[in-house]
Amino acid sequence: MTPELTARTRSTFCGDLTAHDHRNLMRYNYWLLAWVALWTVGSLTVKHGGATFHGPLGWAVAALTALPGVAALHAYIVFLREADELLRKVQLEALGLTFGVGALFMMSWRVVERAGGPSLDITTPLFLMFFVWGFAQWWVARRYR
Amino acid sequence: MRNRLRVLRAERSWSQAELAGRLQVSRQTVNAIETGKYDPGLPLAFRIARLFGQPIEGIFEPDDEAPARHEEGPAAVARPA
Repeated sequence: MTPELTARTRSTFCGDLTAHDHRNLMRYNYWLLAWVALWTVGSLTVKHGGATFHGPLGWAVAALTALPGVAALHAYIVFLREADELLRKVQLEALGLTFGVGALFMMSWRVVERAGGPSLDITTPLFLMFFVWGFAQWWVARRYR
Repeated sequence: MRNRLRVLRAERSWSQAELAGRLQVSRQTVNAIETGKYDPGLPLAFRIARLFGQPIEGIFEPDDEAPARHEEGPAAVARPA
């Protein structure tokens, strides 16, 4: 038996990945981390930079911080397109669950706001969706174990 | 869908990981197919059929066909002409 036939699969919380899928997923993770880091720096710079960043310079910073995010999005699409077909199914179900929970939460909270509840920052549902996405991948993947 | 993947793999003494490597899928995918939790798409079904040198219908069969064929077999033999 050749080594490449036995050492191809890596276990992760979202299921077993082939070496190819693992490489694509890590590429996505690196871009995602770069985006989060640059977004944090850019956001704090604009927030504490005063009037200098009000206007075109602030917009330029926003566009610059979005670039690694675009790369992350591209990396994730490549990961999905080239993924093992069961992994693709797991991701599809997890994304569907994430979108549904996110949309339900945002629309329901809008009613809460109109009823006098606290206003939520736009990042709050995003964090919730990232958390749900991670949980959903684990939850969906265990059905196929 | 029912399938004979586990039997065919056992005949060749391959582990799930080895079969997964030959099919270029994860071990979890092989396990999910063998346990009937997941039905492969056509491209993977063709790869499996090609690997074992059998037609797809020799490896996979729909659930609703299996009992009917079973009834036809012994019952047809026992039935008087």
